[in-house]
Amino acid sequence: MIVTAAVCPHPPLLFRELSGLEDVAGDLREACLSAIASATSDDPDLVVVVGGAEVTRRWDERLAPDVAKFGTTGARSAGSGLPLSLGVARRLLDESRWRGAVELHSIAWDAPADEVTSLADKIAARDDSIALLALGDGSARRGDKAPGYVDARAFPFDEATGRALADGDTDALTQMDAALAEELMVGGRAAFAVMATAVHRTVGNKAVVHEKGAKPRATVLYQDDPWGVMYYVATWQLR
Amino acid sequence: MAIVNRTRDSFYDQGATFDEERALDRVRQVVADGADMVDIGGVKAGPGDDIDAAEEIRRTAGLVALVRAEFPDLVISVDTWRSQVGREVCAAGADLLNDAWGGHDPELAEVAAEYDAALVCTHTGGLAPRTPPHRQEYDDVVAHAIDSTLKLAERAVSLGVDRQRVLIDPAHDFGKNTWQSLELTRRLDEMTATGWPVLVSLSNKDFVGETLDLPLGERLTGTLAATAVSAWHGAQVYRVHEVVETRQILDMVASIKGTRSPARVVRGLA
Repeated sequence: MIVTAAVCPHPPLLFRELSGLEDVAGDLREACLSAIASATSDDPDLVVVVGGAEVTRRWDERLAPDVAKFGTTGARSAGSGLPLSLGVARRLLDESRWRGAVELHSIAWDAPADEVTSLADKIAARDDSIALLALGDGSARRGDKAPGYVDARAFPFDEATGRALADGDTDALTQMDAALAEELMVGGRAAFAVMATAVHRTVGNKAVVHEKGAKPRATVLYQDDPWGVMYYVATWQLR
Repeated sequence: MAIVNRTRDSFYDQGATFDEERALDRVRQVVADGADMVDIGGVKAGPGDDIDAAEEIRRTAGLVALVRAEFPDLVISVDTWRSQVGREVCAAGADLLNDAWGGHDPELAEVAAEYDAALVCTHTGGLAPRTPPHRQEYDDVVAHAIDSTLKLAERAVSLGVDRQRVLIDPAHDFGKNTWQSLELTRRLDEMTATGWPVLVSLSNKDFVGETLDLPLGERLTGTLAATAVSAWHGAQVYRVHEVVETRQILDMVASIKGTRSPARVVRGLA
């Protein structure tokens, strides 16, 4: 059963060594570590990570992040490492105090609803207590210098996502417009949908106690777009 | 290594820091600009007014003492070929003797050993101090520079200079025409491969001027190009007039080589 969920973004800049002498994303990393600390504070049995990638599959949690594919002076590791989103999660977990079990799943960026539901159901159906960590970004089209330039539709889209995260609104996250999300270079649509669906299943099936009924207690720790990509850091407490 | 001249006639600054207070201001400026060392000189490298040892000491030792007092951690070098001068400046606090005339006074290395100072061993092609090159011939200028500087280095070590405190300098333009200085730059990796730390003194020199057909004052770009190539080849100390620009070049080359992290990387990684 899912007891907590957390959302973190996955820009390569969260790998400290990529930004050179200056730690440009220090505040964002701190927010992520706070979210992970909060999500794991009740000693769950397991942290399950879901992040977007090219394909939907489970990954060996002993694999390392593949930082060198983005540069630095380090050598490329032999064989392929984790995809970006899971690599960032792996690094954040390593930097956190969490030393317990970890399970890593990627969900295809363009995963259709049944694929999302299938993975979410598998996670929600487990008996162990789970902290679910979803890696995903908002739109990358939020300014003249943004990776995808500017698209005015990005702003209301991201606002809606932020509101859903702040409200613990599983329906809103599950029903995000997949086609529009792709156009707006949203890097978290599928992962957020898996999280929301799994949480919804948990809340509905187990009737997890919560003062407002079937809604997790949500906290947003970070919501900003310093480089034209929207990042969210949030936690959801389900009990 | 920033050049600080207490001379009236050095080729580049033409006496701008001859006055002791002006020289001290120059030290303050280059330290603020990022220099790790200063090289204080009291005699113009090329031909000019006769400056005897007493006058050279008067120009350099007092300034060394003032710099030592104000900057306890700064590496202070003095550009001199005379052992009498070396003795006085070491007593005043100098850390390094820049023997730019390649062992002309054999006792200078003994002074370095006596004061536990560092020493630069320079290739001059056998010329006496302040002598410009004339029809200088080498079968292989790089081999000659390596052979000559290594002999000086080993001799210094045998006299008691700490092996860790000996540098070698191919000495661009000293006993060399422009072709020969260009070849030294092109093949500087052969010199760094000896394992001795290499100092290069390229700043605004005639080989840059002749190569680009540019007068003094317009040689910075060419100097920096030679600096970049020398850095790529592994030179470790750069004797310069322009500190800020040199520091930028060295940081840039080090980052290209992968030995220094860039300052701030964000593009494409958000």
